[in-house]
Amino acid sequence: MEMMIYSIVSVKKNTKKLDALLAGIKGLSNTDLYVVTLDEIAAVVSDVNRADLIVDKSSAIEYAGVIETLAQQFTLLPVRYGSVMESTDTTKKMLERNYNEIQCNLLKVENKVEYGLKVFCDSEKLKTELKDKSETEPAIELEQGIEKSIYSKYLYKKLKEHRFEESLLAHIDAIIQNITTHLAQLNSIHRFKKMVTETTIIDVVILLKKNEKEGLIQAVKELQIQYTGLKFVLTGQWPPYNFVDITIK
Amino acid sequence: MNNNVIDRSKDITILELLDRVLNKGVILTGDIVISVADIDLVYLGVKLMLSSVETMEQLKSGRSIST
Repeated sequence: MEMMIYSIVSVKKNTKKLDALLAGIKGLSNTDLYVVTLDEIAAVVSDVNRADLIVDKSSAIEYAGVIETLAQQFTLLPVRYGSVMESTDTTKKMLERNYNEIQCNLLKVENKVEYGLKVFCDSEKLKTELKDKSETEPAIELEQGIEKSIYSKYLYKKLKEHRFEESLLAHIDAIIQNITTHLAQLNSIHRFKKMVTETTIIDVVILLKKNEKEGLIQAVKELQIQYTGLKFVLTGQWPPYNFVDITIK
Repeated sequence: MNNNVIDRSKDITILELLDRVLNKGVILTGDIVISVADIDLVYLGVKLMLSSVETMEQLKSGRSIST
């Protein structure tokens, strides 16, 4: 029988607590959850018949719910939805082959949780503000010798656009720098992508000790006060999905 | 309340959750793993993308998305 694998849990040679927790929750399609254990780690799995498996949004949410419940009591590595193992034997061999790497990852996320922070802007409003500001700056002077012709007008327009783009990027970089500096003070690990879309200035994932949540909330509050024109959206806490650096063979 | 800063909007939460569970976490590769219904997962991805665009539009127009 094939099995759906939900997560790899640090059990430290004691699976009783995990067994007790699993007795109270169900896997996909109301299946029983059980563990495949190897020394200090355990894979949480449920039997699955691929022919009967419905892959849809609610199934993915249900799957995430199992991981969420486990993460409340254990240090774990979430496994991506849709991962099916052939048997208990192959699962055990997989744990064996990757044992050290799994342990390293578990150690990295021990007693920590993930948060997501997205910062949105009204890009049109931001551009207008910067344009207004640029109007007050000295006009661009073209090099001497360039005649005031249709070409020089075109050149002037392009230079102005270039200058504006530069100031926009510099402004956004300064915001990102400020945000990441605030986050760095929290003793957290964070990764970010900048300008994911025209309205998303920064998309950050943060790995933080469980008891340092209030510090993060305070930092985001301060940033929100500082940048009233931006919208800060903080989500979490999440199991450490974004901090698992492992591709299992 | 300190926790007010954490977004509890259902749309955002589901979007964030699905992004994580579908794209992040431990990735199993090789012959021991069978990917489940790729087409459905791609379809789900497209729906997510649409949902994301709607959320951005809401934010752009200044409407609150918090519950």
